[in-house]
Order: sequence, then C-alpha cells, then structure tokens
Amino acid sequence: MKPDSGPKGIGRRGLLVGGFGGLAAGGLVSGLSVDAAHREREASAGSKIAQSHYEFYDQPHPVGVSTIPQQYSVFMAFDLTLATAQDLQVLLARWSAAIDQLMQGNSIGQVEPEHEQSVATDTGEALGLGPNNLTVTVGFGPGMFDGRFGLAAKRPKKLAKLPKFSSDRLDPAVCDGDISLQACADDPQVAYHAIRDLARMARGSATTKWTVMGFGKASAQGGQETPRNLLGYKDGTRNVSTDPDHEKFVWVGDDDVAWMRGGTYQISRKIQMFIEIWDADRVSDQNEVFGRFKVSGAPLSGHAEFDTPDFHAKGADGDPVIPVNSHVALSAPENNGGVKILRRPYNYTDGINSDGQLDAGLHFLAYVNDPQHFITLQDRLGASDMLNEYIAHRGSAIFAVPPNPARGSFIGRELFG
Amino acid sequence: MKTRTIARGLSAASIAAIALTAAGCGSGSSDSSDSSSDGGTTEVNVSLENKDGKDTCSIDKTEANGGPVKFNVENKSASGITEVELLQDQRILGEKENLAPGLAPVSFTVTLSGGDYQVYCPGAETEMQDFKVTGDAAKPTGDTQELLQQGADQYADFVKDQVGQMNDAVKKLQEAVDKGDVEAAKKAYADARPFYEKVESDVDSFLLPGGSPDDNATNLDYLIDMRQSNIDKKVGWHGFHAIERDLWQGKKIDDGTKKYAKELTDNVGKLNEQVQDLKFKPEDLANGAAGLLEEVQSEKITGEEEAYSHLDLVDFAANVEGAQDAFASLKPGLEKIDPDLTKKISGQFDKVRKDLNAYRDADALGGYKAWTPELRKKDANKLSQSVQGLQDPLSTLAEKVAKA
Repeated sequence: MKPDSGPKGIGRRGLLVGGFGGLAAGGLVSGLSVDAAHREREASAGSKIAQSHYEFYDQPHPVGVSTIPQQYSVFMAFDLTLATAQDLQVLLARWSAAIDQLMQGNSIGQVEPEHEQSVATDTGEALGLGPNNLTVTVGFGPGMFDGRFGLAAKRPKKLAKLPKFSSDRLDPAVCDGDISLQACADDPQVAYHAIRDLARMARGSATTKWTVMGFGKASAQGGQETPRNLLGYKDGTRNVSTDPDHEKFVWVGDDDVAWMRGGTYQISRKIQMFIEIWDADRVSDQNEVFGRFKVSGAPLSGHAEFDTPDFHAKGADGDPVIPVNSHVALSAPENNGGVKILRRPYNYTDGINSDGQLDAGLHFLAYVNDPQHFITLQDRLGASDMLNEYIAHRGSAIFAVPPNPARGSFIGRELFG
Repeated sequence: MKTRTIARGLSAASIAAIALTAAGCGSGSSDSSDSSSDGGTTEVNVSLENKDGKDTCSIDKTEANGGPVKFNVENKSASGITEVELLQDQRILGEKENLAPGLAPVSFTVTLSGGDYQVYCPGAETEMQDFKVTGDAAKPTGDTQELLQQGADQYADFVKDQVGQMNDAVKKLQEAVDKGDVEAAKKAYADARPFYEKVESDVDSFLLPGGSPDDNATNLDYLIDMRQSNIDKKVGWHGFHAIERDLWQGKKIDDGTKKYAKELTDNVGKLNEQVQDLKFKPEDLANGAAGLLEEVQSEKITGEEEAYSHLDLVDFAANVEGAQDAFASLKPGLEKIDPDLTKKISGQFDKVRKDLNAYRDADALGGYKAWTPELRKKDANKLSQSVQGLQDPLSTLAEKVAKA
C-alpha cells in the first residue's frame, strides 16, 4: 500500500475537516458498504452514514501501519489462556471476520435480539456511528511461539523480547503480551467498541493484560500537518513516508519466515512524560533538548520544519547548534548508519497518578522490518538523550504483525499448515 | 444482596405460571459425528459466501426423506455469519457456532421426521430458508424438551434441599450465638453461608406474605443477606452480615447479635416454607446460573460480600458450585442441541474450579483462604478473568434451552 493512499470513499480533506468524521457532504460513494440489509431491525441506526472506510481483506500489507493516522487509538494486549492450536485458529478466524465487519461500520451481530432470553452479540455503543476509518491491527507476541501451540518452528526470525535499555523504568503490568489488538479510528467510541467486542470474543481464550487509550495522533502521513506530542513539539517530521523507504525499513521481505512477508514488526513503548517538570523548563532549554524550535518545528540549524538538520553547524561558542545529545541528533538517520523507523505514536493520559501529577505521555508505536533498527536507536537515546530527564519508558512490547488475509482466510492461517 | 429483586427471571409469579408443553412435533437429536450406519443419511451442504458484497447462505438441498440428516457447514468467505441453525417452530434442533472464513468445515446430524423446517443463518442476505422433510422417521429416544424439564424439576428439588439445610445451619448459628461463644458462632456462620450462596439467585425474590418488592422490610433476601453498603435506613440492618460484623469486627456477642440470630432463623424458616412450591422452567436454571456468576463478579471478587470475615472465597466457591449444579441439570438435554457449547461450558467450569482449588485451605474457616485485601490485590484480576471465560458462554444458555 502506498503510504499516502487515502481511504476508500470520500476524500481525505473531508475527513480532516470533520474530525469526528460525522456527516461529510460527499454522500454515498461506491465501495462504501455500510449497507446492513440483513440486519433489518438495526439497519436504520447503522446504515447510510457517508464515511470512508478501509478494506480488511486482500491488502498487500497490514492495515493501521502505513495507513494515514486516524485521530484515536485503543491498544490492548492479551495473554493466551486457550489450550490448543485449534482454539487459537478459532480465535484468529473469529477476530478476522469480526474485524472485517467492524471496519465496514457494521455491528458484529444483533444488538437487540428478538428472543427474550438472548444476550446481545454486539454491545451496541457504536451503532449509528459509521466506520470512521477504523483499522484493527493484530500483533503476535513472542509468547505465541513458545511451544504451547506447536508454533515454535514458525516463529518470525527477529521476534524476541526487547532488551532492557538504559533509563528503562518498566512496569511489568504494562509490558509484553502474547497477542495484541490496536484499533485506530476518527471516533474514539468506534475504536473502543472494536476493542471491547473483540476482547469479549476472546473471553475464555485470552486474558486482558494492558491497554492504552490514545486520545490524539502524534504522527502524520500523506500530507497531513505534523501533529504535536504532549511536550508541545511536532512529532514525526522526518518520518518514513515514501514507498522505497517502506520497502527498505518497514515491510518484511523474503529474508524472514514466509508467512510474515509483507508484514512488519511492531514496537510498543509506553512513555510517561513528567509534565509538570517539563512545563517549568524554559523554552530555550526545551528547544535544545529536542534540537528543534517549538512553534515552527524547524531544526535549530534551520528555519522551516522540513529543513534538513545540519549536525555540523557550529554556533558562536564553537559548539554544535544542534546539541549532540539532543533528541533529534541522537535519532537522526545520518547519525545511525542510515537507519529509519516508521513512527505511528499516540498521545495518552491515564488521569492523575498517586503523587498528584498528571499521568500522561506518548504511546510510542514504531514499525520496522528488523527490530534491531529500533534497538540501535534506543540504545543511544536511552544512554544519552537529554529528554530522559523528562520522560520514563514504562511499557515495552514487541509484536509480529502479519499481512492481512485474503478473503476467505484469516490472519495467521499460514501458521497452521 | 440485590437491591433489585423483582427483575430476576425467577420471580415467584413467573415460577407459578410455568406450563410445560410436552413436545410433540419434529423432535430431533444432534450429534457432531455421522452416526448413521444404515446408509440412509441425507447430506446437506450449507455454504456461506460473500457475493457482490453480501453475505449469503446457500443450501444444496431443500428436501430430505425422514431420518438422519447431516448438515455440512462451510464458511467460505462470509465474515458476517457466525452460526447456522436448523429450526422448527422457532425451536433449535441442531446448530453450529463459531463459524468464520478459513476454518475447516463442520457438521451436525439430526434425525428428522416429516414436516417443515427452516435453515437459519443470522446475518445472511436471506436469513431463513425452508427445508422440507417427507415421510416419517423412527421416534428418537429421549425428547430434548422432556430432558430439559426433567433437569429443571430435579434442580427444584436441589434448591429445596439446600434451603432446608440452611434452615438447620442457621439454627446452629443461633445456638452458638445464644451461648455467647464467638468462635463457635464464627464456625457456624461459615458453615451456613454456602447454602444460601449456592441457590441465591433462585430464591432472592421471595417476599413475606402481603409484602411488596419496594418495601425492604418484607423482602426476605434483604432481611437474610443485606450487606452494610446497601442498607435501607428505614428498615435497618438484619441477617447474616449484621452477625458477621459483630463476630469479626466487634469480636463479641451482645443482645443485638442474639436478636439478629433469632430473626435470621425465623426468616430462613419462612423462606423454607415458601420454596416448597418452587417450579422451574429450563431457562430459569440458565438465568439462575448466570446470576450466580454475576454475584461472583460484583460481590465476591471485590471482597464486598464478606467485608469483615473475608470468607468471600467460600461464597465464591458456593456460587460456582450452585451454577454448576444448575448447568448439570440441563446438560443431558443441552447435549442434544449443542454438544459444542456443552463441552465449552463444562471445560470453563472445570477451569474455574481448578483455579479456585489453589485457594483451598483445610485449616481455614469455610475451607478456603481468607480473601484479604492483600490477596485480592494480587489475585483478583486472575480469578475475575477466569470467571469471565465461563460467564460469556453461559450467558447464551438461556436462549438455547428456551428455544429447544
């Protein structure tokens, strides 16, 4: 998929203007399939909403990776408790079918069944909201290949728990997971509903482990204006964006297990920000920490956001204009053997912590075809990033994200011979 | 326990109104294997496919001769269809659930007598399709509805037995309280609790004669099992948990405790009289079992039920045991309609029981470790998720047996 390809249906501009995606003026467009003729009782609430949606089946790459970032994200990691490979197939097949329905803006079954003794199949809170560009990305953690399900020989070659980095202050309660789901959408309730109903489907097969609700995207694609993280800085100005870079750095090629080809590795880091401390720092210091100007996003060596940073430029004092231990200098491809990662993070908040501070930060999500690329960057950042004074990595996880299935199949089916 | 008592499926009124309809028509039996040996089995292929953006359900035959009919179901590409049922007069004779594109085909076999049936594919463009059976078939042994109702009748006897035992147990509690023996009273309290917890959701809607659901002074569940957090100030505190507070928090027995114990004996005696007329429909058992698990999640795992004694795991085990008793009563009939679901629920019951067994402690009051705030903090998540795995399939049971 081209990273800048928009969703099906109405144009991208219509989406950005809407924000909540609600009622764009485009009217019904071919390919828009929220028709719910077979759910007559609920059709009036769920249909005819003119919104674009993404396709789930027959995509060259997993959805929710190079997809233009939607406004909201709900991420949930699970541990598998099911007993057999066959149970795992049923879970993945049911999830896949349901994700296809959800991405079209359909409910996954009856919300108000006719029989008085019935429980609802779909929980109903997204009824009438439409697809809102929902994507659901499924990730397989290292635990899925630990031998419980006979899949050890199918383990993606580079799927291994991330090492402990300098400055890591991890909380095991928000780390790892055997399997994960991320729903991204332009309406938070649509994203939450997807995760809730998929988690419900997994009860008895998997236990919930941790979740992060991302309330605002912190990366851009396809001509979107670069959004800001909670420190107030533009995030992702130099993100992977071109097709060749996707092939080179994001999509798994033929040097890994066959079923992962076209897929990617997802790196998840829950990064807490020390908001109150940061807010008390003078802006000139904040600029030095990032290596960029706050409002324009320009590198300290330049004038405009997309100016290429000049890491050799020296100031009057003879020191580099962009400090060598600034965030941008330590993570720049120029200083890391050309390595790039696709970043697709979301800002999150967990309210107020027990110390009375705002509990918020960045759910950093990156996609790579070799986790070593992230490890290389984080080794340096963890050791010397000036930003470490203001952040702490609390959660860490890695998942293999296979390509989406063909119609008639399900995610990960190739694992089961 | 519940402030909302009348909303239960098992109100005294609904119980009284039960009428069992003996099934005369088109009874079937379901088997996941093809058991026919006389070569008379008709095979029907049910194919679920997405065509031009619509999920469709097609059957390759719309007629069969009376006798065993095997339905082979394959979901080729219809992501919106997850189940297929064979119905007659809105009753389920056989079905397959958990269908999704990419999974291997599955089948179910039913023995059908002459008549009109429907193949039901919820979510398909055409959900209901007619299926006609000609001639007669040998009457299968053991009618599903009869089996379910037999189970419901047996279960009613079980409930009466439990309430009867509770009636004896609270008398012992009163004796210990009257003697002023705190330790003996604690033990008698722990011994009495499980009887109520096993059947609570079946008996929590009884009122004193002439009472009203909005008057807690006449609500037997309130008078027997109310926790401090839900006290109605007009009526005050009565029952088990008031005694629990005196024994564990106050660590002494006074005249008030004795009054509570006497009242409890009286009220349980009244409950015991009222339950003698109990009759259940099969779906009442299913709803009752689901209600007991709801109790586990809302009161026991949170530690709210036994706030002073921390005997929550004793109650937890009793809730689960009661739910399992109800399920076991339905099992012979349920196996005929949905052997997969029967197996799934059985497996989840086994898992919950196994998880609970880790907390058994022969030396502890009631036989389980105290559910202290510390233990709860550590293990509540684990136990809650274990119960969730059971709750979900169990919540589909009432519809299933009601439609059998």
